[in-house]
Amino acid sequence: MGDIQQLDLKSIAVNSTKQVFQTMLSMPIDVAASASESTISGSRVVGSVGFAGDVMGSIYIHVPGSFAKEMAAAMLGMEPDEIEDDDEVNDVIGEVSNMIGGDLKSRLCDAGFPCQLSIPNITRGTDFQIDTIGWVRHERIGFKKDNQGIVVDVYVKSVA
Amino acid sequence: MTLKVLAVDDSKTIRKIVAKAFAPYDCQVIEAENGVEGLAIAGKEKPDLIILDITMPVMTGIEMLAKLKAQPNLKDIPVIMLTAESGKENVINILKMGVKDYIVKPFKGEQLIDRVSRLFTLKPLQSQESEKPKCVSQQGDIIIFTLPERMERHQGPEFDTMFQQTLKGMVDAGQNKIVLDLHKVKEVNMFIVRLIIGIVQHGQKARIKMQAVGTGALASELKGFQETSELVVHETLDAALAAF
Repeated sequence: MGDIQQLDLKSIAVNSTKQVFQTMLSMPIDVAASASESTISGSRVVGSVGFAGDVMGSIYIHVPGSFAKEMAAAMLGMEPDEIEDDDEVNDVIGEVSNMIGGDLKSRLCDAGFPCQLSIPNITRGTDFQIDTIGWVRHERIGFKKDNQGIVVDVYVKSVA
Repeated sequence: MTLKVLAVDDSKTIRKIVAKAFAPYDCQVIEAENGVEGLAIAGKEKPDLIILDITMPVMTGIEMLAKLKAQPNLKDIPVIMLTAESGKENVINILKMGVKDYIVKPFKGEQLIDRVSRLFTLKPLQSQESEKPKCVSQQGDIIIFTLPERMERHQGPEFDTMFQQTLKGMVDAGQNKIVLDLHKVKEVNMFIVRLIIGIVQHGQKARIKMQAVGTGALASELKGFQETSELVVHETLDAALAAF
């Protein structure tokens, strides 16, 4: 087994997030130059997946509520005003989380940390924070798409 | 013969993307939300091809694949796995289980079609001329181009092309008057508006005189866009014809 401290979690998360947005949504995104560029205020949708095995971890993808709708429209080839309910948005954010989490899970397996991926979860709200405890590694990466902020949090700890 | 494709994925979005990718071809796409449902449908429908996700609730794609391969009447159906997990071990495991191919998410519909084309000859639907909606009619020297009540988003390019072909025919025949008949269009959304904007711009480029017919709601909507703000929308076809 390798050392999870040696894993370049940030690069993995940056590359897979950019690739998912580019390929599935045709939305190129950039890493934010500063935390303020990716700040999300107001309504927020958070997609998350967990992985468990020789390592445990979670990935959270935070996006503004209005932008989540734009993402759903882009992935479904529709206009935002054609997205009728939250289920479609949830499904898209869940699938985006699954793809980003799946890529990280694959990199962990290849690095000698076999683990399984959970199905995605969605959290919505306007004023909340997600606290996690006991993680050995935490990476927070801010992205921006025009004036919209996107935040990806990666938490990992080894079990053995 | 229509290719019968079973798409098994817990994400409705991915099932829609798969169905959309096959839409231009002579294919029937059947959907299932998980492995249990997928197995049941596979037994009943005997699809020609299964597109199978891995991470799903109730029964994963790996479990479904194992059960599929254990059934003599289903084991030879080609399976393409669609997976967010590209780890070497994962890929080796699924290939060992006898899948024909695998696609790592994120993916584009074109990639899926490319992989399927290696297994099957996909027949385009374009030969079905008789099923195309009839949009063009003529009164005197005025052409009438009518949009139907309902249009699916994927039909947009088809109507746009049809309009351009109509314009070309008009120019060749020395005609320069057209009525854009939108009276059947009940639902106004951005897709419809964009289609109409495109049509109006084609007409302007070809220097064709255009009048339109439509509801008051549609007329108000079109007034709000620069490209269609000068399009005169009449309440009746007779009024539009008389306006030339």
